[in-house]
Amino acid sequence: MTSTPPPASSNPPSSPARSPEERREGFEQEALVHLDALYRVALRLTGTAADAEDLVQETMLRAYRSWERYTLGTNAKGWLLTILRHLFINEYRRKSRHPETVDVDTIEPFALFQEVQEEDPQGAFFDKIVDDEVLRAVDQLPEAFREAVTLSDVEGLSYEEVAKVLDVPVGTVKSRLYRGRRLLQAKLYDYAVNMGYIKGQSKK
Amino acid sequence: MRCRECAEHLYEYLDREVTPDLEAEIRAHIQKCPPCSEHFDFETLFLKFVRVRCRAQGAPATLRRRILEQLLEE
Repeated sequence: MTSTPPPASSNPPSSPARSPEERREGFEQEALVHLDALYRVALRLTGTAADAEDLVQETMLRAYRSWERYTLGTNAKGWLLTILRHLFINEYRRKSRHPETVDVDTIEPFALFQEVQEEDPQGAFFDKIVDDEVLRAVDQLPEAFREAVTLSDVEGLSYEEVAKVLDVPVGTVKSRLYRGRRLLQAKLYDYAVNMGYIKGQSKK
Repeated sequence: MRCRECAEHLYEYLDREVTPDLEAEIRAHIQKCPPCSEHFDFETLFLKFVRVRCRAQGAPATLRRRILEQLLEE
């Protein structure tokens, strides 16, 4: 603990006016370190590398221009992802390859463990599934589930942080995660059965 | 705690989003219930599988360069 009292202002200093070099350096250290996460989320949202790159570049530009509004030491990743998602909704969703065709409330719950617990309770078949196939399965999820699963399961955001980025209540995040995970399990199960990794009985 | 109640909190528990009290109750149940323990282990593996496989990819180096150049112009 320090003996110096906190500054009189209620807000901690947020990137005060500094030289352009310092400003850029601060941005690189706090924001640019999340580039990989932003790119992965952008890729899951837009579906193409070209759109994802444009979306991330535009996100970084907007973030840099409003850098003074970001409070140092707070959740930069969440702040950047919120900007990215707004941009996506306003400018990219129209040409997105993911039209929402599933009524998200009528998805049948599927529990992978129940299907495989006799044959492969340790989930050894997971190792046989290649990365591209996992990404493809995530990409096939309805958008509402895909973004929740990506933010939580892939990028490690808490329920609260996901709720903030998606602008929905925490309870909604929980139910989207639950159903998104179960749907993802169903897709991986079908794939593993079709490939002969497990015997099972394909749902198709 | 019963198996059913335990299963209802499965993901919240694995996501570390339960209260310390509930966490302790669930952990105690899992320790003495092999079927629940097996189920929780399986779901832990599944979540880890999704995270690791989907994080294999990062942003292309060209994108980082484009952004850095863009910042210089601002």
